[in-house]
Amino acid sequence: VTAARGHRWPRAAIAAVLVIALAACPAWGGDGARTTLIMFAYYAALAQMWNLLAGYAGLVTFGQQLFLGLGGYTLAVGCERLGLGIWPAFALAAVVAGALAVPVGALTFRLKGGYFAVGSWLVAEVFRLSVGNSAYLGNASGMFIRPARSVDPWVVYYLAVGLLVALVALVVAMLRSRAGIALMAIRDAEDAAAGLGVNVWRVKLLAFVVAAAGTGLVAALITVQTPFIQPNAAFSIQWSAAASFMAVVGGLGTVEGPLVGAAVYVVLQDKLGAIGEIHLIVLGTISVIVMLVAPRGIAGFVRDRFGWTLFPVTRRPPRAAASTPRSRGI
Amino acid sequence: MQLVETLINGCLLGGLYGLIGLGLSINFGTMRVVHLAHGDLIVLAAYFLVVVLVPAGVPPLAAAVVVVPVLFGVGWALQRFIVGHSLGRRLDPGLGRGVLPPLIVTFGLSIVLQNLMLHYATADARTLQSSLASAGVAIGGITIPTVRLVDFAIGLACLGLLLLILGRTALGRALRATSDDLDTARLLGIDPRRMYAVAAGISAATGGVAGVLLAATSTFYPSTGSEVLLVAFEVVVVGGLGSLVGTFLGGLLLASSQLLGAHFLGPSYALLTGHVVVLGVLVFRPQGFLPRTAP
Repeated sequence: VTAARGHRWPRAAIAAVLVIALAACPAWGGDGARTTLIMFAYYAALAQMWNLLAGYAGLVTFGQQLFLGLGGYTLAVGCERLGLGIWPAFALAAVVAGALAVPVGALTFRLKGGYFAVGSWLVAEVFRLSVGNSAYLGNASGMFIRPARSVDPWVVYYLAVGLLVALVALVVAMLRSRAGIALMAIRDAEDAAAGLGVNVWRVKLLAFVVAAAGTGLVAALITVQTPFIQPNAAFSIQWSAAASFMAVVGGLGTVEGPLVGAAVYVVLQDKLGAIGEIHLIVLGTISVIVMLVAPRGIAGFVRDRFGWTLFPVTRRPPRAAASTPRSRGI
Repeated sequence: MQLVETLINGCLLGGLYGLIGLGLSINFGTMRVVHLAHGDLIVLAAYFLVVVLVPAGVPPLAAAVVVVPVLFGVGWALQRFIVGHSLGRRLDPGLGRGVLPPLIVTFGLSIVLQNLMLHYATADARTLQSSLASAGVAIGGITIPTVRLVDFAIGLACLGLLLLILGRTALGRALRATSDDLDTARLLGIDPRRMYAVAAGISAATGGVAGVLLAATSTFYPSTGSEVLLVAFEVVVVGGLGSLVGTFLGGLLLASSQLLGAHFLGPSYALLTGHVVVLGVLVFRPQGFLPRTAP
């Protein structure tokens, strides 16, 4: 298999235009555009990490709120209890979330499929309840992050956009590497991949740790922006609900999908946000319908119909083998 | 003495927990789907009882009898018209489409159900007002709430009934055949779609019973479904996947751990103790206590 090359120039041009437009946001956008784009960036990053697990590693999880809570609380503790300063604490959030993903993965990988999805949710609940019972972490009422209040909102903006670009680049690089082939092989046929010598457990854990660290950074960013954290909100299942909605609607197993999904999510939240439960009823209904009618989402539909992709991560079998039946995604 | 009382209460509440787990177990056992809306179906039954039937003047016991067949219908219809379609080509020989679609679909259903209940029934705490709730039985200095005795008795009766249906009837044979070997079952004239819908109906009917008991035992909110789903999951994992008796015993262990945690550490540690015990089981005995031995 070789990585698809496709049309390099339009792709590079589109990417360049997007990056320049985002970088020049202070010149063309006001506070409203900034707030919307920050929200888009962190939701898209969150969905990208969820998609790395569910769309590429075959790890459908409803427990990513664990790493959101961990990242947020690492920032809060670093700033408020350890006196680290906001940016060292920010970096520490990725380290703590990534490091904790190792034992959590080792434990939850014992469960398969749907039970893994709920098992990781259970681990997040353990942390939510433990943090709620910890006076050091402010119990259920949470913590303020005072140093974060003096951070310029444009700094948050550049961090959010930079983080999204970096995480997308990381995912693309990972998918184009050997680990990426192994991941997709596991997703499509775990036993067959193991039979061909893929260390299934290690490759899954790698994806799990990368997604956890990325999610931890997103959480630290959200916490800098808020600047407040509370266990019931930080470890809420709603984060996983949002992430899965964006990945499914945008297109699972595509790099473009979470970006498209996050845009849809932010627009819907803007239109329906005032009435909480109606918003969620609409989101839930949309994800069910998309899964039943167009399970490959918006980006998957566009790719199947027109052959357009923004990121070159799909692979084609060598020509000689073209007559043999091929599975999707390779 | 108080410790003995806590333990007895734990085992009795475990009957309800076991029943909650049985529904998830049946769904997974038949079609390998972890039904993430199972907890919300149970809470839906509780709301149907407390918000619709009882205010309409139906006596609680008669209302409870109505809830179960209605829930069977809800479970059957959700499977037939929504969840079943996410299984897609799994029903066509040879091709599997993985665990993802049914998970996303049942998770979406869970969100929709929870928020529909929030919209129509508000976030107020509800419970079934009955003479049962306050009654107690005194045995040798220990007082046991009657409602917990009822929980246990009905939970055990449901387990017996399910074992009877699955083990001794033609329907049970067809369900087990579908679970064990889809293609061969089809060759013998069993329609898997129908079997899956029946299994989902039975699962939701046990959820109906559990919902009635939940309403009689404690207060509930629209969001209680998530907690109930976690209880079901924990009970199944502790008991060992694929064993109904194991699931029921898992309920006893989970409820006892929760009440013991509340007893020794304080009420805010009840859920946490239960979770930690389950994770402990996952570390030291990942196959659960009564795993299914057949392949």
